[in-house]
Amino acid sequence: MHISFLLHNGYGIGGTIRTTYNLASTLAEQHDVEVVSVFRHREEPVFAPSSKVRLRHLVDIRQNTPGYEGDDPDYRRPAKSFPSSEGRYQQYSALTDRRIAEHLATVEADVVVGTRPGLNVQLARQTRRGPVRVGQEHLTLDSHSAQLRQELRGAYPRLDALTTTTEADARAYRAKMRLPGVHVQAVANSVPAPALAPADGSAKWVVAAGRLAPVKRYDLLIKAFDRVRAERPDWRLRIYGGGKQKDKLRTLIDQLGLYNHVYLMGPANPIEPEWAKGSIGAVTSSLESFGMTIVEAMRCGLPVVSTNCPHGPGEIIDDGVDGRLVKVGSVPSIASGLLELINNDDLRQRMAGAALKDAERFDPARIAERYETLFSDLTARGGGTTTGRMWGTLHRTRGALLGSAYAVRDAGRSVLRKGHTA
Amino acid sequence: MMSLATPHSEDQQAGKDTLPPRADCVADAAGGLTFDVTGIPEDGTHELLLRSRDEDTDVRLPLTPAGGGRLRAALPGSVELPEGRWDVYAHTAGAEPRRLQPGLNDLRALVDRDPGPGAERIAVRIPYVTKHNNLTVRSWLRAPHAEAGELHIGEGELTVRGRVHGTPLTPSAHAELRGRDGAETVVEAEVTVEDGEFTLTVVYGTLTADVWDLWLCPAGGSGPAVRVARLLDDIADKKPIFAYPRIRTERADGALTVQAYYTADNDLSVTVANAS
Repeated sequence: MHISFLLHNGYGIGGTIRTTYNLASTLAEQHDVEVVSVFRHREEPVFAPSSKVRLRHLVDIRQNTPGYEGDDPDYRRPAKSFPSSEGRYQQYSALTDRRIAEHLATVEADVVVGTRPGLNVQLARQTRRGPVRVGQEHLTLDSHSAQLRQELRGAYPRLDALTTTTEADARAYRAKMRLPGVHVQAVANSVPAPALAPADGSAKWVVAAGRLAPVKRYDLLIKAFDRVRAERPDWRLRIYGGGKQKDKLRTLIDQLGLYNHVYLMGPANPIEPEWAKGSIGAVTSSLESFGMTIVEAMRCGLPVVSTNCPHGPGEIIDDGVDGRLVKVGSVPSIASGLLELINNDDLRQRMAGAALKDAERFDPARIAERYETLFSDLTARGGGTTTGRMWGTLHRTRGALLGSAYAVRDAGRSVLRKGHTA
Repeated sequence: MMSLATPHSEDQQAGKDTLPPRADCVADAAGGLTFDVTGIPEDGTHELLLRSRDEDTDVRLPLTPAGGGRLRAALPGSVELPEGRWDVYAHTAGAEPRRLQPGLNDLRALVDRDPGPGAERIAVRIPYVTKHNNLTVRSWLRAPHAEAGELHIGEGELTVRGRVHGTPLTPSAHAELRGRDGAETVVEAEVTVEDGEFTLTVVYGTLTADVWDLWLCPAGGSGPAVRVARLLDDIADKKPIFAYPRIRTERADGALTVQAYYTADNDLSVTVANAS
């Protein structure tokens, strides 16, 4: 198969970029794979895909280089095809609209894959007849604004498939969006096996890692650790990551007198060696669109105590087997989950072994296999045979009609609502 | 093996000689380090070069093939590496040394290191990543050594618990706070000894506005003075991580703030300032 990914910026740093390169590199072992980056702002990518993956860009914004296109008048004009309700809208322009449209109108591929909502919208509407159209959702439907959801309702019926990172989000898409004929499937993010030995479970450290952002609820973790200290003062906690909550968390640590037990470690990259220094992972978020750190910790041999928040943790952790799910927002529940594993060495070691084994399902090879099956099924349905091609065309025509009908209905609704409140 | 989008992708390590060579470091509990270097051709004669930032000193270790395109060098804890910062290079005979970039640093053996009471000399080497993403090793070499453990920051005093290595800790031990303001002021502080651990108590009321360095005299006045430091873990720069609350204390001649902190060398000091 010839597979073409469309990525916001393959030269930057971020979870989607890394995940896309992992997938593209693994698929490139068997298939012809390219990654098309809308933007290029630097010479070399930070995360490089395998040499078998072709990487190219559509708009060059490398300053002080001959190819720089930031002075193009169209680069200053607002985008029309890329939806204005998308988080990255400000970075898109009439120039990106045109380049993306040209790319999609001529793309030589069996499968084109979009990696964020705005690009999925353009991909659904502008891809030439022929290639299978796949949209990836790396966040969640619930995290999008009402305007963006409405935009997606209009465009997504023209996709052949939509992938989410969790079953919960796939259910949300099936329930809340009408996507007839669109194959909605959850495919988890992949995490490679770390290049170092797993933790041996003897270190008396709990480890957490993530941005110091309110959604991570590290305040609850610190308060829970106050209870842990009361019972097990020999155990301590490291929190890796940077962010705006740092001063607040520091103050909380000082107020509780936890400065000998809880440490704000700052950002760490790579993170694997830091997981390997601990024996238990902790996640106390109120929301995790997937839960990448849980998988990372498990791959390093740590059972994870995590809040059972939407959407990912409950699909990653087998409660009581390879980790422990605890109540969202509850300090006592987090503390007792941690203490359960701290106080029972056998249980912790058993869970650590299970975590290592169970996390293998997130290996890039396994995840790529799932995509491969999905892509093959879709190309068989929509590409090769005459009936398949017919079906694909019919589906898309119907999708286009449905999409506009929904967009109209949503517009009508919002007009009504406005009228009502006015 | 499949190629993945990590800094360890085989594609990055092999072939493309535009990429700088990098080293994975593994630490052992005795203070030794093993460097696994990738990104330089296996043929030729190679050395791992540690170049001191503070003085004109090089330490050279042979780099030998370790399989899988890797070259390995070992720096055992028994090899002397003077205290300071050491930039790490790969040096191929007949070429300029090339600065190494950090790979995976597996420092788990350094976490909660306990060299035991019998250790005569404490050798600590912690590899870390510089601001410019290069690999540097921070080294400490102390005999004797006073390792700070838990601190307790009270209303009127702070206490430091810790252990002494390389010299006996006796019941006559005391501590000194040495002022930095140039007057060579020394304030004595009380030390209690229990189960081989010292507890040192700093009474805020005895201090004036200055930066005070903590020294332990494990055998009392006649014995050696040992700088109190925190060295026995995996963290190269303690100050931002081992942070302690700043306390406000009222005195007859005005209010003061007191804060314990680790210096750039991970030695323990106390800053006392007039409260604004």
